[in-house]
Amino acid sequence: MLFYLIKRIISKIPILFGMTIIVFLILHLAPGDPVDMIVGPNVTPEVYQNIRTQLGLDKPLIVQYFKFLANIFQGNLGESILQGRPVLEIIKERIPVTFTLGITILIISFGLAIPAGIIAAINRNTWKDYLCMSGALLGMSMPTFWFGLLLLYFFAYKLRLFPISGYGTWKHLVLPALAMGLTDAAITARMVRSSMLEIIRQDYIRTARSKGLARQVIIYQHALKNALIPIITLLGMKIGWVLGGSVFLEVIFSRPGIGRLMINAIFARDYPVVQGAMLVLTTSIILGNMLADLLYAVIDPRIRFD
Amino acid sequence: MFKKKLTIILLVSFLLSFVSPLTLAAENEKTLVLAYDKGPETMDHIKTGWYSDALVWIFDRLVSRDYNFQYKPGLAKRWDVSADGLIWTFYLRENVKFHNGEPLTARDVKWTFDTILDPKTASPFAGDMDVIKEVVIRDQHTVDIELKYTFPNLLFNLSATAAGIAWHGSYQEYGSDYGSKYVIGTGPYMLKEWRKGDRIILDKNPDYTWGPEWMVNQGPALIDQVILRTIPEENVLIMELETGGVHISKTVPTTFVERLEQNAEVNVIKGEATKLGYLAYACDQEPFTDIRVRQAINHAIDRKPITLFVLRDLAKPAYGYLPPALKDEYLETSAEIGYKYNPERARELLAAAGLENGFETTLSADNSSRSRRLAEVIQAQLLEVGIKTKIQLYDSSGYVAMLKEGKQELFIRQYSWPNADILDWFLLSSQMPYPNHSRWVDLKTDQLINAAATAPNWEERAEGYKKAQQYLIEQAVWCPIYVPENVIAVRKEVKDFKYHPWMFFPSEFDLGK
Repeated sequence: MLFYLIKRIISKIPILFGMTIIVFLILHLAPGDPVDMIVGPNVTPEVYQNIRTQLGLDKPLIVQYFKFLANIFQGNLGESILQGRPVLEIIKERIPVTFTLGITILIISFGLAIPAGIIAAINRNTWKDYLCMSGALLGMSMPTFWFGLLLLYFFAYKLRLFPISGYGTWKHLVLPALAMGLTDAAITARMVRSSMLEIIRQDYIRTARSKGLARQVIIYQHALKNALIPIITLLGMKIGWVLGGSVFLEVIFSRPGIGRLMINAIFARDYPVVQGAMLVLTTSIILGNMLADLLYAVIDPRIRFD
Repeated sequence: MFKKKLTIILLVSFLLSFVSPLTLAAENEKTLVLAYDKGPETMDHIKTGWYSDALVWIFDRLVSRDYNFQYKPGLAKRWDVSADGLIWTFYLRENVKFHNGEPLTARDVKWTFDTILDPKTASPFAGDMDVIKEVVIRDQHTVDIELKYTFPNLLFNLSATAAGIAWHGSYQEYGSDYGSKYVIGTGPYMLKEWRKGDRIILDKNPDYTWGPEWMVNQGPALIDQVILRTIPEENVLIMELETGGVHISKTVPTTFVERLEQNAEVNVIKGEATKLGYLAYACDQEPFTDIRVRQAINHAIDRKPITLFVLRDLAKPAYGYLPPALKDEYLETSAEIGYKYNPERARELLAAAGLENGFETTLSADNSSRSRRLAEVIQAQLLEVGIKTKIQLYDSSGYVAMLKEGKQELFIRQYSWPNADILDWFLLSSQMPYPNHSRWVDLKTDQLINAAATAPNWEERAEGYKKAQQYLIEQAVWCPIYVPENVIAVRKEVKDFKYHPWMFFPSEFDLGK
């Protein structure tokens, strides 16, 4: 298993490498200059040039890229152009804000979607199915930012049950987690349902039924495990995205997470921060996918680490 | 069993909700919360060009600007200027202490300005201070600032946020943590904590007794803590303001002004801003090289409907190049001699320039909703006189890049600056290609502006800038459109809020229950 893991990790290195090139190129080809964002409009050309030199922005792109790459190998993501602090330190500050919300979202989303999907599947074409799937359709149709504002308006602004913005306590977590968790659960619930429906039509389920096994045993021990395999793929992907931070949620709920950091850095052309944040995001997506692979083997003994 | 568990969980959550940090604050402590749509990137005021208000309150400057925008003593109790105008002697207040307990001396003043001027620092403020030849310590509380040439605007530069006097040991003692975890000034508030992207928490400086004389409260602030929050979403910011989560918002989107004015718990304060919105064009490109075309554009723009509908009556039509809030330098006759709306005259001028059928061009703007709406109205008004435009929108970085490359034709800008030297920045030929975005290279303009900037005293400087403005109006270098108002929303709990054209000072306010 260790060998398998190492092999998987090594196979992802070209992806990370490719990502750094793409991000670097896109950022530098886009018009704009980070020095403008540091200095504001009122600066003499000499000062402007001096700042560019100090930041190494006057060097050819290829030199800048290899310097960035060399730094990565030393565990150094460089220094933010705007903040003048190590990018790693900046990202470390934002990670807890993003991760606590991300994990809460996953718990809500999967915690709701799996039971709802199962209930809908095993009660197909009954009112329970219709209820679950209408809820899912509603959830899917609502954009997260709009739903977030709606939740804010009623539960924070009108009823004053939760703080409107900020972070730090569990109360700050509820509304953003619900905004994304509920809309996300909708999509997952539909997937669980269709996956479950596919499984319960299989021969081995019919066999189990004909053996006279209890309905609960068939659903939870025989069907669910297999139905969960595609859901785990989804979970693996979601882990990466959710941990990468949702810009909409972070803007609406004023949470200083990775998503907002990245957007601000893109607008300000703070190259090292965007590159660093992208590296973290890509790594978390890769790790999420690897986690999904490992979970497959736990759930499905037929899958082996070959 | 399940119900019992659920009841316990709900009960515990309910109890926990009372122990949130928000409720842990001492009952009698007064905390003022301010909201901004953007937070600072660094709090080292020497190394940034974008200043958080926190820096205004953490630091003091040698010179202060009162509510009428007049220069008054700050950390310097007085100053003298030598007969040739080249040596300015500043006499520092005694018994002033930094937040770390160190006394303020002339050494700190010298260190601050020397650090700004050191090319290794790469301070964005270095250009403004370039006029300084040397800072000489005369004694512990007296410092001479020697200039390369006469420069009455020194007082403005010394009163700017960037000129806050910092403790001389700041960089040595705190290294790269300076500006992030530590910021040491002498101001009425001290940095307690900076949660990046979320809030800056300032505690009052209990030893503060050296507030400028024009302030009502020169002693320690009445409010114990000031929190500067970053709330990027404007709907959320307004909700926080309405529910009391935020006391003051320095910027209020125009779409919310009416709603807030109807709210009994919020005062909407409007005041003159030192801003100007204008339409500009690349003066070195055809057809804008022709003064008649430039004048025609000025006559084609009807400013009234723009201020009324696009800016929701929160702006006044502008005809000059400086905002009236700059009382000393503003040319009072701007509206009189400026170009009025006269589409007929515009068509005549275009015909005289050989463009009786008008012409086609691009109209660039940044992608903010205000600029977008403005661009649409300007597009329609220009079409009336035969100028067909295609609107191009840019994000802020891309916009500046486009202007630097000189790809602009017609474009919309708004500046915000409390000094007439904004004309130097935008219109001197030495500022080509940027920030001289209207690409105006003209010897007479250079002479007029340089004469004003290096005048021997403030009065002559102001006169000089007036002459420059008159000439710029004649030449129709830009098409000034509006001077927006500053709109500040203040909750009723905030007592004694005072409007200042550029800044406000929480050490002057109190907070009622």
